[in-house]
Amino acid sequence: MADQLSKGSAANAARPYTEEELVNSEKEMTKLLMDSMKRYETKTNVLFAKLSDVTKAASKGILTWGRSNSVWPLLFGLACCAMELMDFGAARIDAERKGYLLFRGTPRQADLMIVAGWVTKSMAPRVKRLYEQMAEPRYVIAYGECATSGGPWWESYNIIQGIDQVLPVDVYVAGCPPKPENLFAAIMKLQEKISGKNAGSSERTISGNIGRP
Amino acid sequence: MAITRINVGPIHPSTHGVLRLVVEVDGDTIKGVEPHIGFLHRGVEKLMENRMYMQSPSYVEKLDYAAPLGWEDLYVAAVEKALGVETKEYAGQIMTVLLEFQRIASHLLWLGTFCNDLGQFYTMFMWTFRERAKVMKFLEDYTGSRMFYVNRRIGGLNRNIAPDFKKRAYEVTDYLDKNIKSYRKVLDANPLFMERTKGVGVLSRSDAIEYGVSGPVLRGSGVRYDVRVSAPYYSYGKVSFDVPVGSNGDAYDRYMVRFNEMLESISIIRQVLASLPETGDALGMPIRLIGPAAKPDEVVVRRELPRGEGIIYMVPDKQKPYRISLRAPTFINLSVLSRLAVGEKFADLFSILGSLDVVMAEIDR
Repeated sequence: MADQLSKGSAANAARPYTEEELVNSEKEMTKLLMDSMKRYETKTNVLFAKLSDVTKAASKGILTWGRSNSVWPLLFGLACCAMELMDFGAARIDAERKGYLLFRGTPRQADLMIVAGWVTKSMAPRVKRLYEQMAEPRYVIAYGECATSGGPWWESYNIIQGIDQVLPVDVYVAGCPPKPENLFAAIMKLQEKISGKNAGSSERTISGNIGRP
Repeated sequence: MAITRINVGPIHPSTHGVLRLVVEVDGDTIKGVEPHIGFLHRGVEKLMENRMYMQSPSYVEKLDYAAPLGWEDLYVAAVEKALGVETKEYAGQIMTVLLEFQRIASHLLWLGTFCNDLGQFYTMFMWTFRERAKVMKFLEDYTGSRMFYVNRRIGGLNRNIAPDFKKRAYEVTDYLDKNIKSYRKVLDANPLFMERTKGVGVLSRSDAIEYGVSGPVLRGSGVRYDVRVSAPYYSYGKVSFDVPVGSNGDAYDRYMVRFNEMLESISIIRQVLASLPETGDALGMPIRLIGPAAKPDEVVVRRELPRGEGIIYMVPDKQKPYRISLRAPTFINLSVLSRLAVGEKFADLFSILGSLDVVMAEIDR
């Protein structure tokens, strides 16, 4: 056996390759390589495709879970309802214990805008600008009658009848002013909406003219 | 150094609403402050001219949302004067109790937000809101509404008191007395609080009178002026209470005036409760669209609101005001800001503004 091997190897080594053999071997080699690559490719593609599906689904789940459980509102109050907004973060309700109320002073760190109070014509462009400065995804809660429809001031010459004429609104809260408990319910509704649990969750209300009223 | 202009607001956590300030600074020293107002203007006076008399109390309440009861009472008192109706004495006694509770709630709200402005005294914010919640609950249980109690009617009130009104009122005052007094220990021992209020934003006595400021801002500068004493209404003439005044006119004095006022309010409530009969008739006229016709006479009524002296000037028509003018105390109190802030450091701007206790809805109207 050893002889044969040594002989063979010796013979192989001794005999120079013909041109034909060289071409054939090259072809064989390339074919093998291509096959292996193909095999490898198909395998990896399948693997990656499945992985990406899983990660996509998982990341979507993680994202929505994270987003819905860390809704950071913008520290921004316009009028009376801002009092109840303060009470919402204060001792009696203490919404921060639920983890979703970390008021941010800058719109660039906030996810949620709670429009608490009436919006005048001079204030509307500024509110819109604040909304535009917030990073996506961003959500809006119209808190109270004034932000929903103009409330008691609906026939005033300087009021826009609801913030939904300027911004897309996710959740409306009724009341004048709504109790802090109502805001609790509204944020829980918004959480449901973000995580896609309820039907029609991607719907947002925009009414009338968008832009400068 | 060159003068730099800095824009503050209209959306800023410390401007108590939507106030825009254009501040001129030289380095860190303020050279001038120019308040820009009107972001909450909705034309209340004009809207009220198109409403029947008793449709308007809810508009007036939204002027000062930190203490709505005072404005509501002021407006209905003006309507009563125009119609020639007297307030029932029993209703006046109950109203005194409610107004003083409202004053305490308003000052507690101010103290919490003021400490927040000075730099994350979030503990004080939590404490004052804990106490305020007790007062709000008491008022809610009596009036049926949490924040905007449209409780006043022509000649009286919306409802009589419940049998346990006095007992509960005593409980709340005891609770407030104990807790509010404990704040002094925390705040006066806090060097940061003292540094940022003592000697900051000094308003001299003559300036205070010249600018026409009222309420705790005026009293902080040493002027003993209070409508409850100079022109008593309801039960204020029958109770004895002190009008706390400051001496230096700085932010600390304004804090001390408000703090002592809360304690005085507690003593007023206790005195009125002691003489309050268990039962009586406090009911006013129910709200009807067409009421008794008003006499065509000019009406001026003034009241001591938690933030200063509120005046309503009204030219009545038969069923609705022909012209109504509201004197908002915080509008005039804000006008001293540009005087007080000049020469101070930029960081102290908000301790000065906070000590003036502005409510933007009342300023813009």
